[in-house]
Amino acid sequence: MDEAGGRQAEDDRRDHARIGRGAILIFSYLLATGITSGALYALVALGIVIVYKSTEVVNLAHGELFMMGGFLAYTLHVMARVPYIPSLLLAVAGAFLIGIVTDRVAFRPLIREGLVSVLLATIGVSFILKGLARLIWGGKGDYLAFPPLVSPEPIRVGNVMIMSQQLVVLVAAIVVMLAFALFFKTTRAGKFMQATASNPKAATLVGIRVDRVYMYTFGVGAAVAGASAVLMAPLTLLYPDIGFLLFIKGFAAAVLGGLASVPGAIVGGLLVGILEQFAAGFIGTTVQDVSAFVVIMFALIFLPTGILGARGVRKI
Amino acid sequence: MNSLRNAVTLAVATFVLAGLVTSAGAVDGVTKDEIRIGSFGPLTGPVYMYGKLAMNGLEALFDKVNQQGGVHGRKLKLVREDDSCKPEGGIAAAKKLIYEDKVFAINGGGCSNSTLAAKPEIAKAGIPFVVNSAVADGITTPPSPNIFTTQLTATIESRAQVKYALEQKAKKIAVVAQKDAWGRSRYEPLLTALKEQSLKPVVDEEMTVDQNDGTVQALRIMQSGADVVILVVYPKPAAVLIRDSLKLGYKPVYVGQTAIQDLPQLQEQVGIPGALEKFVSITTIPAHPDDPEMSEWRDRIKKLFPSDALSVFNLMGIGSGMVVVEALKRAGPDLTREKFLQALGTIKNFKTGMYPGPITCNPPASHQCNQSVAWMKLVDGKPKTIGVTTLE
Amino acid sequence: MRLLLGNRAFLVVLFAALALVPVVANQYTVYVGNLMMLYIILAVGLNLLVGFAGQLAFANAAMYGIGAYGAALLQVKLGWPYWLAAPSGALMAMAIGTLLAFPALRLSGIYLALATLAFAQATQWVLLHWETVTFGAGGFAVPEPDFRAVGLRASDGIYYVSWIVTVLLVIFAWRVVRSRVGRAMVAMRDREIAAQALGVDLLRYKAMAFALSGFYAGTAGALYSAVLNFVSPEGFDLFQMVLHKSMVVVGGLGSIVGSVLGAALLVYLLDVLRQFKATQEIVFGALLLGFVLFQPHGVVEFFRRHVPGWDEPLHS
Repeated sequence: MDEAGGRQAEDDRRDHARIGRGAILIFSYLLATGITSGALYALVALGIVIVYKSTEVVNLAHGELFMMGGFLAYTLHVMARVPYIPSLLLAVAGAFLIGIVTDRVAFRPLIREGLVSVLLATIGVSFILKGLARLIWGGKGDYLAFPPLVSPEPIRVGNVMIMSQQLVVLVAAIVVMLAFALFFKTTRAGKFMQATASNPKAATLVGIRVDRVYMYTFGVGAAVAGASAVLMAPLTLLYPDIGFLLFIKGFAAAVLGGLASVPGAIVGGLLVGILEQFAAGFIGTTVQDVSAFVVIMFALIFLPTGILGARGVRKI
Repeated sequence: MNSLRNAVTLAVATFVLAGLVTSAGAVDGVTKDEIRIGSFGPLTGPVYMYGKLAMNGLEALFDKVNQQGGVHGRKLKLVREDDSCKPEGGIAAAKKLIYEDKVFAINGGGCSNSTLAAKPEIAKAGIPFVVNSAVADGITTPPSPNIFTTQLTATIESRAQVKYALEQKAKKIAVVAQKDAWGRSRYEPLLTALKEQSLKPVVDEEMTVDQNDGTVQALRIMQSGADVVILVVYPKPAAVLIRDSLKLGYKPVYVGQTAIQDLPQLQEQVGIPGALEKFVSITTIPAHPDDPEMSEWRDRIKKLFPSDALSVFNLMGIGSGMVVVEALKRAGPDLTREKFLQALGTIKNFKTGMYPGPITCNPPASHQCNQSVAWMKLVDGKPKTIGVTTLE
Repeated sequence: MRLLLGNRAFLVVLFAALALVPVVANQYTVYVGNLMMLYIILAVGLNLLVGFAGQLAFANAAMYGIGAYGAALLQVKLGWPYWLAAPSGALMAMAIGTLLAFPALRLSGIYLALATLAFAQATQWVLLHWETVTFGAGGFAVPEPDFRAVGLRASDGIYYVSWIVTVLLVIFAWRVVRSRVGRAMVAMRDREIAAQALGVDLLRYKAMAFALSGFYAGTAGALYSAVLNFVSPEGFDLFQMVLHKSMVVVGGLGSIVGSVLGAALLVYLLDVLRQFKATQEIVFGALLLGFVLFQPHGVVEFFRRHVPGWDEPLHS
């Protein structure tokens, strides 16, 4: 009786250990996947925050700027066989230019007209860009593949396997965040941009070229979007509609983190990613897509300006 | 003066009424030089391949037929309408084609949900309709006298998927499905097909069409120990799932369906070499755009649509269009809708060179003209047809 | 002269023309005309919320869906007649819409936009996944309402019912806007704190604005289910929301006639856009952008300037 009982207990312990290891493994994967998919949202959110910080406007065409950057890189690197780095730089430059055009066309003329008009103008731009992309690249296939920076094989990090490109995206997100956080905090140009956002009239009075600031902001935001697309394309594939859902999630992540906060974009993005994976893992894959929205809806009630957002100043 | 005015009014009214009467007698969409064929499907939006590209193929076919003199001296003209892959779009497009564009017949139906929603309108109007892409069973079951299909239905594909899984001696079958309108039109017939074999999926996971990461799905399926995974998803979620499963070291047999037709492209999308070793999919068109036999279509598409390259979606439109053209020919020079529908009924063992098997329409019992399921696999980087099953 | 021109006369002419459509035009045109009237209801309702009360809400399409599903499900699942199911669906949308007034107390601007957007996504998810009740993604067919007693085809019957409802709702909105309630809402829109200081109960008027727009959208939805004889979740997505917003802005925020104009104009243009087949997206985006750039105050501004007798007291 005792021996059998002893063996049974040992079996139980081994089973528990295996289940325990299994549970830890699942947990590790949920966390890792949450971070890597969150990094995608974080990069998109960063672009949105950069534009918002200086214009107080959310560019609803951001997803399409992202998409165009990706397609430009595809045309250069995959179709014309231009090497990777020059393709990336040229695509970013192209996205920068499209961003400037967006400013000229959808933002600058409407500055005085109120948020809704600007939002709709950027929506107009997003349709134009999406339609153009479908016309130019749509006949080439449903989802276009883009070669990764390093290798397509997965690599081991700790006790999980992740795709090397996911690490690239995560590193890029952190680098961009640090670069812009420093930029806004320490450089003059960064301070100009924040000044322009909080009081354009006063900014003009002290000699800041407000229209130039807006223009470059849009350009830089679009450039970040373009760069993000090239880095993310091996994971997300390229198609004219890629911008839309990533934008919605990125926007939600940016608001969650606080729309005017650069670190908030990363926090928000990672949180959204982790939330989705844990909801899918513990509740079911059916709720994966909607979980972030539900949480954000409730979060905004308690934190109306986001997690790292400044306490709202009510302008009277 | 009064009587003159009355007389003129009466004359004009008679003239107008006479015009209405004569135009009512003529057949909609047919003149002495032209037959107008309508098509509806998504021209914009994420699934425009099933609409725009299929219609491009149809236009290439019409171009060829017109070059050879048309059908009984009449040139074929395609009238396209966008349905945005949504039910309201389908209903609007059908109404427009029938009542405003006044086409002779419709050859299209790019999305299951919109085609299903448009079915009552089309059935009511009695206009001949040959479906080329939509797979929803409800479109042709129960059969309407004027609706035929050259596309496989969800039930046919589901039964074939289950049959293949059983042939692989599957002990545990997992199902991964999109729960949008497209996914649902296949998901329910799949569960029914499994139940017919007294089976239940050992896990049932959901993915969305835009999903960028499938690790959670892969984890759950792996944990269930499934040896066959039936995929009711589009190429992107399929690629993401296969990639993330490989990452975990999990290599089950994957069974796809006609939404995943371009296997070389799928391999590129997954990225990891050898990913599709155990992947098979059903294809509507076994031919691949790069095959030598497809060169005439490659050239024609290039000529008509310079920025496009020949794709399987073009071929789907061409295959179905061939059946329509054949029926038009058989209906004779005195063309009416009834004659066209009768002619469709006479098509038996018609070889298109596109579909894997012959086309046989069998009204009134069955308006399902295509019963051949072709299985495709990637062998040495090239898509190869590994078998054709014909269902009764 | 005042009787012949001016915004009232415009409405009379438009609705007289709409009344004649089933008599002179083909079934497709009747269908488009019917949709036009539904969009008039939707745009007017949304304008009450966004243009008059100043609440940047993005949940209108969800309310539209709730109205349609409510009316349809009551008929299909409980066997209610259309005459009972339709108003019930509208009331359901109104009730749920009113709940959104609570987050609107704490949030404003882009944050309210995101919260209501998140709500709309959650609603879409419920429609897709609560399959036992909503039939899920595939949607379901709705029986045609029976007009044989009046000797009309179903499509003509529902056309005239829509006509009557549209006229009543436009008149009602017209009167609300010119009443105390309307003035309170506009005060809230222009300077929330000043309005509060003057004794305007923010919760009450925000709730009223959300309730009204919910009711309008729900009514449009209930009618829609009878026009299409089919209900599915895809008809109530973000694109639909963009369409509603576009109609309000293109017509003119803060102008009832503007919304009628915007809805009629956009439905007409969308139909014309069909000619463009594959370039629809580009043309739609260009049109939207063009309208917002050249008439940022809405098309109604053009009429206000050039047509004598056209008064817009509360145009923002």
